[in-house]
Amino acid sequence: MSSKRFDQARPFLSLGIIVLAWLLLPVGVKSFLRVTFFELQAPVQVTASYVRDLQEFWADRSHSKDELIEAAHQLRHAYAGYEFQAQQAEAQQAEIARLEGLLRLPSNPKYRFEPARVCRRDLSGWWQQLTIRKGSNYDLTVGAPVVYSGGVVGRVREVRLYEADVDLVSSPRLRLAATFENDTRPVSYQGGNNPPLAPARGIVEFVPPDIVAYSSTPLRLVTSGLGEFPPGLTIGYVQRLETSPDGLFQSGEVSLDRRLTELTEVTVLVQLPPD
Amino acid sequence: MSIIESYRPQRFRLMFFQGLIVAMLLVLAGGLAYRQIVRFGDYGERERLQNQRRVLVPGPRGNIYDRENRLLVGNRSRFAVTLYLDELRREFRREYIEVVRRYRESEAAGELSRSDRPSPSQLEQISRAQVVQRYLDEVNRLLSRDEKVDMNQLNRHFQQQLLLPYVLLDDLKPEEFARLIEELPVQSPLQVYTSSTRYYPNGSAAAHVLGYVRATDEVSGDEISGEDLKTYAFKGTVGRDGLELQYDPLLQGETGAAIFRVDPAGFRVNPPLEKHAPRQGERLNISIDLDLQMAAEKAIAQFETLKGAAVALDVRTGEVLVLASKPDYDLNDFSPRLSQASAQKIHETGAWTNLAIAGVYPPGSTFKLITSLAGLRSGLISVDGFTVDCEGTVRIGNRNFVCDKSAGGVARHGVISLRDAIALSCDIYFYKVGTTIGPDAMAGEARRFHLDQPTGIDLPYEVRRMLIPDPAWKKKVKDEAWFAGDTANMAIGQGDVGVTPLDMACFVASLARGETTTRPTLLHDPNRPRQHTEPIGLPREQLEAIFEGMEGCTTRGTAKIFNTPTYGIPGLRIAGKTGTAQTSRDGNKINIAWFVCFAPVEDPRIAMAVAIEGDTPGEQFAGGHYSAPVAQAVLKAWFEKFQRAAAAPFTVH
Repeated sequence: MSSKRFDQARPFLSLGIIVLAWLLLPVGVKSFLRVTFFELQAPVQVTASYVRDLQEFWADRSHSKDELIEAAHQLRHAYAGYEFQAQQAEAQQAEIARLEGLLRLPSNPKYRFEPARVCRRDLSGWWQQLTIRKGSNYDLTVGAPVVYSGGVVGRVREVRLYEADVDLVSSPRLRLAATFENDTRPVSYQGGNNPPLAPARGIVEFVPPDIVAYSSTPLRLVTSGLGEFPPGLTIGYVQRLETSPDGLFQSGEVSLDRRLTELTEVTVLVQLPPD
Repeated sequence: MSIIESYRPQRFRLMFFQGLIVAMLLVLAGGLAYRQIVRFGDYGERERLQNQRRVLVPGPRGNIYDRENRLLVGNRSRFAVTLYLDELRREFRREYIEVVRRYRESEAAGELSRSDRPSPSQLEQISRAQVVQRYLDEVNRLLSRDEKVDMNQLNRHFQQQLLLPYVLLDDLKPEEFARLIEELPVQSPLQVYTSSTRYYPNGSAAAHVLGYVRATDEVSGDEISGEDLKTYAFKGTVGRDGLELQYDPLLQGETGAAIFRVDPAGFRVNPPLEKHAPRQGERLNISIDLDLQMAAEKAIAQFETLKGAAVALDVRTGEVLVLASKPDYDLNDFSPRLSQASAQKIHETGAWTNLAIAGVYPPGSTFKLITSLAGLRSGLISVDGFTVDCEGTVRIGNRNFVCDKSAGGVARHGVISLRDAIALSCDIYFYKVGTTIGPDAMAGEARRFHLDQPTGIDLPYEVRRMLIPDPAWKKKVKDEAWFAGDTANMAIGQGDVGVTPLDMACFVASLARGETTTRPTLLHDPNRPRQHTEPIGLPREQLEAIFEGMEGCTTRGTAKIFNTPTYGIPGLRIAGKTGTAQTSRDGNKINIAWFVCFAPVEDPRIAMAVAIEGDTPGEQFAGGHYSAPVAQAVLKAWFEKFQRAAAAPFTVH
């Protein structure tokens, strides 16, 4: 009878012993185990990501030639547009460099663009993060800005050997100094508490009272350039601002791009040392 | 039968002890019940007082706008980087252990003796300062600064204001704020704290009207729950002068509060149990017109070193459109606090005084309007029937009185009646009127217009020492007899007569309406009704004659600069009166240039009084040359607006 009771209690006893052992382990050992776990887990995630890429590749091969020709047409149009914009940007860069030279200003920080595939998305009520398929093996650093064609993706939070975690712009752990388009005064942007499957949102605070936002003409919130991020990158759009009870500032919700939840490829901006 | 079996206890002894134990238990139970039931409330209250603290956050003050809703006083944000010390308890403890360990090692190595070791409380202070300095170094790194922790200030804060965030750096620039927002982790004990400070977009404009505030530790939290708790309060502000003082209760924001639970060491342990957000104070729309105010201040400032004041009123409502006083000060110098150097500069220039309500001057020839009214009301003179032959001098009593011209010479106006006497400001005529009607009639008329009293304007520190003398006053105060020369002096606004520019502006506004009282106010109400007070009591034609004389002053008389291309305002008929008075300062005679007026003559809307002090003893200083241009600048700005408003299409919404 007593041995039967012991058998029934054995799982709980084992769990208790394990928890106790974990609690008593030195911090260094715990830290080592944690890092080892993630480093060992990384190849699995990376492999799964490559498998998904392979799956997409074969799915793409199933398209007909007509579809591919049509896609190539669209790509050529887009390419022509981007080519023109790239030329304009180049001319503007040259002008900026000339003015900086005239005014003897220090040049803006320069970045190396490091494209990276997204191998895991963690979009829950608690976490808003991506795992990308590059890490310290590509010299990524903690705090590096991550962007995509729609603007800000987030900021690198943790770098491992083969992968890195990125705090999404929708994460409450991410705060940025932002400005509204055509305004120079800095405001504070912070990711919101986003429930799963809901459109991602953030919060903008410390907005001067004279700035007005309408739902018909939302204001574009962009990076200020005062931190790690280069200026002018889209964070999101603000449709309504509310004055705080003390009348000093306004605050409001920032609608973030829906594509953030579907990203497959992002670019990490790795800052280059000054010349 | 054994001994044990045969034993029979003494029953009464057992019962005694049982009773004793029961009684003791009852006492214990009663005591427990007393403490747990009867004293429950008391102990609960004591526990609440012991482990709860209240933090008060003053609400920002209300904004002040001019009559056209332009911001005159607002609040600007003030960013500071702060450290919440209660989140550093463990770090303080660890650092303390580390500091003690280092001392012990030094002692063991023979570098220090045991007596060199600081006391435990000093070690605590050292360890706290080192922890805080580490955080400050992090901020220094982000902002490229090199700030050091002030240990005394930190200890004071720790002892007295532990629940308030400790300010590491105050008044950050927007770029610094942005950098910290982006670089500091969201959960860091370092946080960017925002507060407000007064902001004056127009610098020194209307400085004396708007006033200023000072920081105060007295933040009202009476209406917020927890008034019996130990309370910490952020610094608030309180009005010290001007409208900031006058309407302080209205402008004061609603205090916000948070009640925290604290541990025995006084550290915050939880999110607030209760929280009320602060609210901004009420907005104030004042009657000042910023355009006119700035025109007046600019016009006075053109005289550079001269002091002066200008007041303009809405004739119909008494609303103050302009209340300017120079020299003045930049209100932004007071925000967040006035430096010693700025205070010294203000003191040296005499800019603290609002001359419009605290500058008491003899009104000079502008008082001739009172003399005229008194004469006409007495029936002893008439508009055309009473004439005087002005030969430049007249002997009154045992003194010769001359007819001053603005250039300082002697005027000979010949035979002159009321209209021309006002227009040309003939002293001889008014000496004659004064001696004809006597001092009591003039004093009585001045008092009818309340020139002997404060106007009651809604501003602090309006003086009460304006004076309308008469023989009884002179006997009582100076114990001297009243002479004919006193009457002559009073007739032209000299001698002991003393009024403020605001008094004279109210008088002119009343005169323009044909009434005796104008109650000035600085509050703007677009629906304020026209003031109706006691009529002057003169036939319309007599009042018109005075107005004609005043209009003559600006077209051909002592203020004929209004008839020149430079100063003329085409289309605007102005009724004015100049004045030049002498007053004694530090034993020297100083001239005061006056100009009072209203316009348009046919439908009075704006009334003005301007007084400019000369700065050179004995200098001739005519109102037509100094004060009239100031009035012209204001009238020109007003008339442009008036015409624009009249030309604007009427729209029905």
